[in-house]
Amino acid sequence: MFSKVLIANRGEIALRIILACKEMGLKTVAVHSEADRDSLHVRYADEDVCIGPAPSRQSYLSISSIIAAAEITGADAIHPGYGFLAENAHFAEIANECRLTFIGPSPEAIRLMGDKAKAREMAKKSGVPILPGSEGPVKTYSDALDVARVIGFPVILKAAAGGGGRGLRICSAEVDLQGAFDTARSEADRAFGSADVYVEKYLERPRHIEIQIFGDHHGRIAALGERECSIQRRHQKLIEESPSPVITEDLRMQMGEAAVKLCKAVNYVNAGTIEFLFQDGQFYFMEMNTRIQVEHPVTEEVTSMDLVKEQIRVASGAHLTAPNGHFRLRGHAMEFRINAEDPVTFAPHPGRIREFHVPGGPGVRVDTAAYRDYVIPPHYDSMIAKLIVRGKDREETLARGRRALDLFIIEGVKTSIPLHRAILDEPRFIRGDISTRFMEEFEW
Amino acid sequence: MNFKEIVELIEKVAELGVGEVEIEQAGTKLRIQGIPTPPAQVMSQFAVAHPMQQAIAPPAAPVPQLPPKTEEPEEAEAGLHIITSPIVGTFYRSANPESDPFITVGDHVSKGKVLCIIEAMKLMNEIESDIDGEIVKIFPQNGQPVEYGEQLFAVRV
Repeated sequence: MFSKVLIANRGEIALRIILACKEMGLKTVAVHSEADRDSLHVRYADEDVCIGPAPSRQSYLSISSIIAAAEITGADAIHPGYGFLAENAHFAEIANECRLTFIGPSPEAIRLMGDKAKAREMAKKSGVPILPGSEGPVKTYSDALDVARVIGFPVILKAAAGGGGRGLRICSAEVDLQGAFDTARSEADRAFGSADVYVEKYLERPRHIEIQIFGDHHGRIAALGERECSIQRRHQKLIEESPSPVITEDLRMQMGEAAVKLCKAVNYVNAGTIEFLFQDGQFYFMEMNTRIQVEHPVTEEVTSMDLVKEQIRVASGAHLTAPNGHFRLRGHAMEFRINAEDPVTFAPHPGRIREFHVPGGPGVRVDTAAYRDYVIPPHYDSMIAKLIVRGKDREETLARGRRALDLFIIEGVKTSIPLHRAILDEPRFIRGDISTRFMEEFEW
Repeated sequence: MNFKEIVELIEKVAELGVGEVEIEQAGTKLRIQGIPTPPAQVMSQFAVAHPMQQAIAPPAAPVPQLPPKTEEPEEAEAGLHIITSPIVGTFYRSANPESDPFITVGDHVSKGKVLCIIEAMKLMNEIESDIDGEIVKIFPQNGQPVEYGEQLFAVRV
């Protein structure tokens, strides 16, 4: 087991990782930018090292600063959290070369599954259903046209090196394809350094269903159930829940088996998520995220597992604690991402939090690094808390969500709390009749 | 805005029981927060990092149980230029254990003079002075780990 873990991240996930380390008796090192000197996770860690000025590129994305910080503090493992360097294969490689255990998958697995086109190929080879589309990137417009004609419009053009909802272009008809192709390529090049795009069938009303998987260094890989993340705005998730209202035990098993098969093909170790699109009873591989995800607490609540502790244990060589065989989910859980933004316009709203009252009671969990008088820095993402509620079924979970949101008092900055509260009163959401188009169609 | 003016401003805020004052002027931003009752309390931590940038340490977070953190930067005399570390690493006074230190207190240095080494990932980074002046104080011990922005030298210009 490690003696000292360096957390290469900030905000609520950095605190989450430190909490797991504290429970396991491991020493912690928080690295931070100048803007995060007064962060809760910095104050709670055993040691802290300032690694740069506020801009992420010079701090949280600075591989050399982070490795140097590990060196001077004598850390023997690094947890990258999510975002930042979590899916940077180069960082994982350097950490390993400096004899620091990177708590996550291997650099090879990150590299392979991080390439969207290659991941699609791997899925196809492993017999995992994929959306009809091009075999790898389409180099020319005429290639794109050929593929589109075969699979049928509407199609979507996706940056091979993209992710997080960026580098996508929907094309409804042949007449628009040339323009979409050219724009997609130039956007992809500018955003990700590679102009490669691939073409895929576009589903009109899919549901976003993802499977949590976990692998250990002894060859075992387990599927830990699904999360439905259909409530998204511009591909940024707002609400996640488990189980999905439409996934039957049978579908859960099929999707779990498909996910495990794919992960075995790339010798996947540690936490990962396979994202699927689900429509008309069919599921299709979309992409894989080779990291712990923001919404991991939803799975923790319906499996009674501590996924972050599991990550640390598995990285140090321990066996996966998930039982063999098909995993059964218990109860229902839902997460609401509380962002410092205008609930109507979604404009970010950083600033000083004047009041911060967190709800409690049965089945309520809040993952946050915010506190009263905390100044939300403008340099990073706007998420300030995650409210997770758990109940014996979806109905109880919704009721708990409503009263928990009512008593989550944040003043001084605008937050998405009113938006979540309104969604919980929306009849279609209550019925579970949702798709990734929900937020487009949502009205106050 | 000089040190004397800032102290006067702080005293005024305290005297008047003002809640919070924020002033921005020519690249300098200053925020003073008073506490209405009991008598106004003034921020005690005041780090002069660089003549172009003066910052008041933000108010301590109301999290009672957390232990005190790493030492705050030492207060420095007004008029001294502080050279801070541009990287994370280990501070060394000389090029190697056998050689003499690059500089000692009292030395006059010119801009570009190598003052110390900061080692990170097996690379020896030479840290140069960004100003002409006299070395008045050397903050870290030889072999001490330093973080980004940590005070290294005080130079009287």
